[in-house]
Amino acid sequence: MRISFRAVLAIWVCKLLRMVSRLLHRGGTAMPGRIAQKLCPDLLSRLSWGVTTVAVTGTNGKTTCSRMIEEAFRESGLPYFANRSGANLMSGVVTEFVMNASAFGRMKKSYAVIECDEAAARTVFGQLHPSVIVVTNLFRDQLDRYGEITHTLSNIREGIRHVPDAVLCLNADCSLTASLADDGLANRIVWYGLDALAGRPQTASVLSDASHCIRCKAEYEYDYHTYAHLGGFRCPKCGYHRPDADFAVEEILSMDDSSSSVRFRDPSGVSTLKVNLPAVYNLYNAAAAAAAAESVGVSPEICRQALSGFACGFGRMENFPIAGGTRMILVKNPAGCTQALEYLSTVQKDFVLVVCLNDRSADGTDVSWIWDAGFELLQPLKDRIKRLYVSGDRAADMRVRLKYAGLPDSNITVQADTGKLVEALRQETLPVFILPTYTAMLDLRGEIVRRCGGAEFWE
Amino acid sequence: MELKICHLYPDVLNLYGDTGNILCMRQRLSWRGIDSGVTRVCVGETLDLSDCDLLLIGGGQDFEQEVLLPDLCSGKAETLRSAIEDGICVLAICGGYQMLGQYYETWQGLRCDFVGALDLYTVGSQQRMIGNTVYRFRNTDGSESSIVGFENHSGKTWLAEGVEPLARVEVGFGNNGEDGTEGVHYRNVFGTYSHGPLLPKNPVFCDLLLRTALERRYGKADLIPLDDSAEQEAHDAMLRRLRKA
Repeated sequence: MRISFRAVLAIWVCKLLRMVSRLLHRGGTAMPGRIAQKLCPDLLSRLSWGVTTVAVTGTNGKTTCSRMIEEAFRESGLPYFANRSGANLMSGVVTEFVMNASAFGRMKKSYAVIECDEAAARTVFGQLHPSVIVVTNLFRDQLDRYGEITHTLSNIREGIRHVPDAVLCLNADCSLTASLADDGLANRIVWYGLDALAGRPQTASVLSDASHCIRCKAEYEYDYHTYAHLGGFRCPKCGYHRPDADFAVEEILSMDDSSSSVRFRDPSGVSTLKVNLPAVYNLYNAAAAAAAAESVGVSPEICRQALSGFACGFGRMENFPIAGGTRMILVKNPAGCTQALEYLSTVQKDFVLVVCLNDRSADGTDVSWIWDAGFELLQPLKDRIKRLYVSGDRAADMRVRLKYAGLPDSNITVQADTGKLVEALRQETLPVFILPTYTAMLDLRGEIVRRCGGAEFWE
Repeated sequence: MELKICHLYPDVLNLYGDTGNILCMRQRLSWRGIDSGVTRVCVGETLDLSDCDLLLIGGGQDFEQEVLLPDLCSGKAETLRSAIEDGICVLAICGGYQMLGQYYETWQGLRCDFVGALDLYTVGSQQRMIGNTVYRFRNTDGSESSIVGFENHSGKTWLAEGVEPLARVEVGFGNNGEDGTEGVHYRNVFGTYSHGPLLPKNPVFCDLLLRTALERRYGKADLIPLDDSAEQEAHDAMLRRLRKA
């Protein structure tokens, strides 16, 4: 598609607005694109032409998976760009493309890794023309914003309809995600998943976002669960079942609080894969990233190399050199939060725990989800949790949640002020784990960077 | 002393942290040395309320409500109606609350018959009624208290003439966003749109439910006062925020 006069105008305005934003020390990750898109509604379509793009959507793991794919691209020397700031709506994607285009709309790099909000997928995919689409999973998340889960699913489905040439990398273990392959799509599908869960036996989660068959409404049976509703599902009535995975974790060989080692199968064969992040959910992210990167031609060896040296950032298992080492684990919804709490159970030492709960629109204004997350998992750890801070706009709610999870209220400090919280944490000598919601993570990171140094969020 | 709780449809009506209500009831009983047990009754299982003191029904998604209709017809609706007339204590939230009414009519005009234990009905709308809420409710002793919570529904519920609402809306929408009523109070049934979940931040209301259920079984119930400072602070924090706005 040609770059029109309108498009050039929109590009200039976008670049100018971004420059002004940065001069004012704002991120300018979304606003310039929003204005540019008003000036030229199909701007993204015009820019994305000729760029080989991997789009990543789904409820949890978008950012981590995108960073893993990036790492594989970097290792293989592909020229690429990515919307690393987390601006994953149409406006953010447009801004990212414009910033990587010349003044006349020629793209400077031929590859892109784009994280895409699951509700925005409906409109973004058609203009983005991704070569590969990764769908990580679907969980209940911010019901006040996304509505019901099936609604999110149809948003993604509609987005996919616009790009029949894109390869779909789908989570085979998620019955909701796998149902995207249902209605005779033209797309080639690559499945990834965990073939079984070695080690600690997992029981079926009491709370499931998908207990009944999406096709016929009978109750699923499971050969195994990995977490939440993910696992080897099958419907006894209509036969809908987990597809065989092309990229599969066959066995977990070892897993501690910083990394995992697994036996991994991809179309090239079976090998040992080290994932330089802890927790089961990151094995899904790694399998998804390998499926996506190999789908655009990155070699299996380079994928393995990328995953073994991978360090995430931006609040996802991100480390900060304060106190006795601080790790931040973003929590957004019951499934992800329960996984973060499961991870804390693997920590074999005394620590300080911080939970920061906000209810701004990016977090979801309904905080009832904290009652669906398994904070009871902390109960057996209570002697190891030396101090517990709650913070954020809804700190008082979090305190009540922890009290009812069986943690002594007398051990909980409410510290609503982020600056004072970070100061208090700097005095700690024990390792610190911080579980913040999205906007709380931005505030906390900002405060830590201001006081202790580090990268701004858009870098 | 023991209180027997039945959680109806925990497999499908579990959307808004409603399990937090059960956790809250059980903890508040256990802190007072009262035992409790929970029976979960899922789709396809038989509902026997003869030995149940307190029934909880939560809210769910539209897709999931479809699963429920045939299941209700297979005997559960009848069981619910007679147990309610018999005075069982019920907390029904959002979809669970609507379900106890006469029917639900979608905004396209499709009508689904519900349990019919309460004289109320719900009509779907295209308006999503969503946000933090404050409702005012009258205690059994005549004093007034506030309930804080979160509502998220598109159904508008209308009470028949003479049916008592649970509370009056101070902030939010309540039953329908029009007549200022919220929820229903019929015999020992408490129906509401408030999740969040409802009970942890409204300890006064939680204790009212527990007392109602215990009195029905044991004739009397002395609930030792608890230190509710954390709960009250969360309650008051929301009141301060909403009343300032």
